[in-house]
Amino acid sequence: MKRLLVGAMALALGAVPVMAQSLEDLNIQIHGYATQGFLYTTQNNILTTSSSDGSPAWTEAVVNITSQPNPKLRVGVQARYFMLGNLGNEITLDWANADYKVNDKFGVRFGKVKTPSFLFNEVEDIDPSYMWSLLPQGVYPLTSRNSNLAHYGGVAYGTLKLGSNLGKLEYRGWGGERAISSSDGYLVNQREEGITFPNGLNGTMYGGALRWRTPLAGLMIGASDVKDNVLNSAITYANPIAVPGMGTFAGPFSGTNTVQPFNIPNYFARYEKNKVMVAGEWARLPYSVALDIVVPPLVAYGVPYVQTKFRVDQKSWYGMASYKVTDKFTAGVYQSQSFNVQAALGPGRYSKDWAISGRYDFNSFLYAKVEQHLIDGTEIGYDFTSNNVTPGAASPAMYPNTKLTILKIGVSF
Amino acid sequence: MKNLRFVILLLVVASIFAIHAQAQVIVIANPGVKATEISKNDLRDVFTGNATSLPDGSRVVPILLKAGTVHEEFLQVYIGKNDTAYRAGWRSLVFSGQASMPKSLDTDAAVVEFAAHNAGAIGYIGKASPHEGVKVLAVK
Repeated sequence: MKRLLVGAMALALGAVPVMAQSLEDLNIQIHGYATQGFLYTTQNNILTTSSSDGSPAWTEAVVNITSQPNPKLRVGVQARYFMLGNLGNEITLDWANADYKVNDKFGVRFGKVKTPSFLFNEVEDIDPSYMWSLLPQGVYPLTSRNSNLAHYGGVAYGTLKLGSNLGKLEYRGWGGERAISSSDGYLVNQREEGITFPNGLNGTMYGGALRWRTPLAGLMIGASDVKDNVLNSAITYANPIAVPGMGTFAGPFSGTNTVQPFNIPNYFARYEKNKVMVAGEWARLPYSVALDIVVPPLVAYGVPYVQTKFRVDQKSWYGMASYKVTDKFTAGVYQSQSFNVQAALGPGRYSKDWAISGRYDFNSFLYAKVEQHLIDGTEIGYDFTSNNVTPGAASPAMYPNTKLTILKIGVSF
Repeated sequence: MKNLRFVILLLVVASIFAIHAQAQVIVIANPGVKATEISKNDLRDVFTGNATSLPDGSRVVPILLKAGTVHEEFLQVYIGKNDTAYRAGWRSLVFSGQASMPKSLDTDAAVVEFAAHNAGAIGYIGKASPHEGVKVLAVK
């Protein structure tokens, strides 16, 4: 039923672009877009879909309404339907905020706001705004993007002129609460390994970003850093627990998942002029997790919980370039690499991806994309369930290489 | 060799004429806007959503034409993009909650009418179109 509703919504989006015109008297605007993707892989199933059989299970539809009652104040809300393989299939709130812009040097936005970190973070989920079907997954993981895209809190922003020969400096500072939904890909993967987060994962965070628009027209250089404070949440743990000298205890157990404070540093640059765009980005995601699991038979022996710890340290980068071949057709290529330097040696430790992409704009509203990926390594994009892999088991394992083809069509107004 | 030089000279002259031939667009603004001229960079910033005021502090609101040769020329000469790429840039801002889409009007006359009666409005029309009630900004 939900799919039918979304299909009807997509048709409506394409059929009534006239609705997008500003409702003049109220300064109200309504905009939206919808996309449908098709994935095919030669080997592993990717992004929780059945892509090795060919999968159309990638649908998104977005609608927003904004009002600008006076030149400095703007309020708005955006809702999204997202379905990708086993993920999502629900309508969520993208953002809902009030924006007060005093002048170009200073403005504030508060409510549920987009987190302005990284090069593409604010537009990562806005498919019509870029040519790629999939942004480099090491930095912009599609299956776990909701946890990074927005936060509850505020953003202060502005642009400062640095003098006639030094360009401009854009700044962003933000803070608030990060809420990772229990349906987020990261937590779905955890669930497949026996750790369930019934209430998701929540914690406070803050960060800042600088973007220097250099005197060389089209060249922007930037950096951002996000500080996540302690994220913790109640969990249930389904796996058996073996305690040396005391035996093995069968679950499920209750417990707590604690992620220690961590930073996400990030550096990027983009050159965009006329028909050419070149960009590169580097990011690091290091965090440590402690699972405190309560095993009732052990509590009587003075052992309040059994603790398990693990650490992830992911370093990712990419370089990309695109060229506008004609007014309607743009082609591009990128190389993306990601390594979890804490992981065991083998294909699960890294992901290296060559992507070749094309986008054709039929008009200002309708476009199509095609993209070919040559993926080496399984660190990113794969889950256990869709690949029939048992966590911890030696086999069957995922193949180390996969070729992924994506077709996508989108309409916006 | 002489012929090659002649061809190159012809191309250079032709391209200069082509550039001048394209400059059939004028930038207009509400009479309340203090500035009498605007740099190409500031104009691009205003029309791409990167700025909402001019260097003299005047708050401005960009007004677009929906389509047509004047619109295409303006985008080509001053923004450096075609309509599809230009609107994709605005969609990035609109769908990320950073801006509202500029108002798009059907005709030069509608742009003049709107700019004449709305504080801070800044738009563009064909050079030959009547533009009483608005001021023309020289683009540096």
